Amino acid sequence: MTENYAVSQNYEAEAEILKLARVLGVEPERLEYLARVDADDLRAFRERVTDTLFDANIAVLQRMALAARLLPGAVLAKIAEKVFGPLLCARIAGVVDVARGVDVAKRLSPRFLSEVAADLDPRRASAIISRIPLDTVLAVAAELAGREDWITLGRFVGHLPDPTVRRCLEEIDDPGLLRIAFVLDDKNRVDHVVGLLPAHRLGRVITAAGADEDLWVPALDLLNHLSAERRGTLAPMLGALPEGLRERAQATIK
Amino acid sequence: MAERTLADQLGGYLPEGIEALEEHERQDLADALRDARRRQAKALAEAGEEGLRYVPALLRGAVRKAVGL
Repeated sequence: MTENYAVSQNYEAEAEILKLARVLGVEPERLEYLARVDADDLRAFRERVTDTLFDANIAVLQRMALAARLLPGAVLAKIAEKVFGPLLCARIAGVVDVARGVDVAKRLSPRFLSEVAADLDPRRASAIISRIPLDTVLAVAAELAGREDWITLGRFVGHLPDPTVRRCLEEIDDPGLLRIAFVLDDKNRVDHVVGLLPAHRLGRVITAAGADEDLWVPALDLLNHLSAERRGTLAPMLGALPEGLRERAQATIK
Repeated sequence: MAERTLADQLGGYLPEGIEALEEHERQDLADALRDARRRQAKALAEAGEEGLRYVPALLRGAVRKAVGL
């Protein structure tokens, strides 16, 4: 347990470094020295940095949001894609009024929206995110999954309605689900999100880890975050796991 | 003028694990944050001007005024 916990903690720190590197616009390798910092401290630091950057130009952003009210949605969408780019759109999404934000988002390509999503602070645009039409969310999720951007997918899970999350999960393969669960922003939601999967899927997701050693730690971490009741239902399936993973999985669900 | 430290840029607060880093590592984070702020401010200034080219001529004056350009 202690060893698993240490590995899991280390992985969480790695995920935090990737998220922080994205916020700062630097290569993750530059921040390697942060690997020895506690994941909770890294998360608190990342949120502080995010707030600082979002607040740094708040007056200009608010004026832009005000000006956006004067323009038709189609013009705004064109300016967003051709001039602003993903980073500025992500910043403005935090201050623009919800109806306007949703109207523009619906007109943007899923590819562009997926790039905005990567730069967005979901805490600030939660009201917009939760009102984006299902088809658009599914298309953006497919883009992000295609790019293997599990971090961004994981950041949005807590801001989408359950039925939308359920549909997105249907579109993501089993290894992808393991990776998303591992970098989920709020690990306390893991069991709730797993509860949105059809009954047969969880066993399949766990056994998928048997095919790729890189997925062992994410699978064990997932088991660690499940309720005792849900873990119990998995016991009969663990026999199919390869040696090495099987013993650790069985020890985890005890 | 001296560059602002990491703690200064973040309003005085640093989580324990960040506070415990070597000074040159905290400095690296301070540099990265300062650069990110400068890039963002530059991108915003450029986008304001460039975006006006796509605004219908009739609305350009009102938009310019709202943005403060």
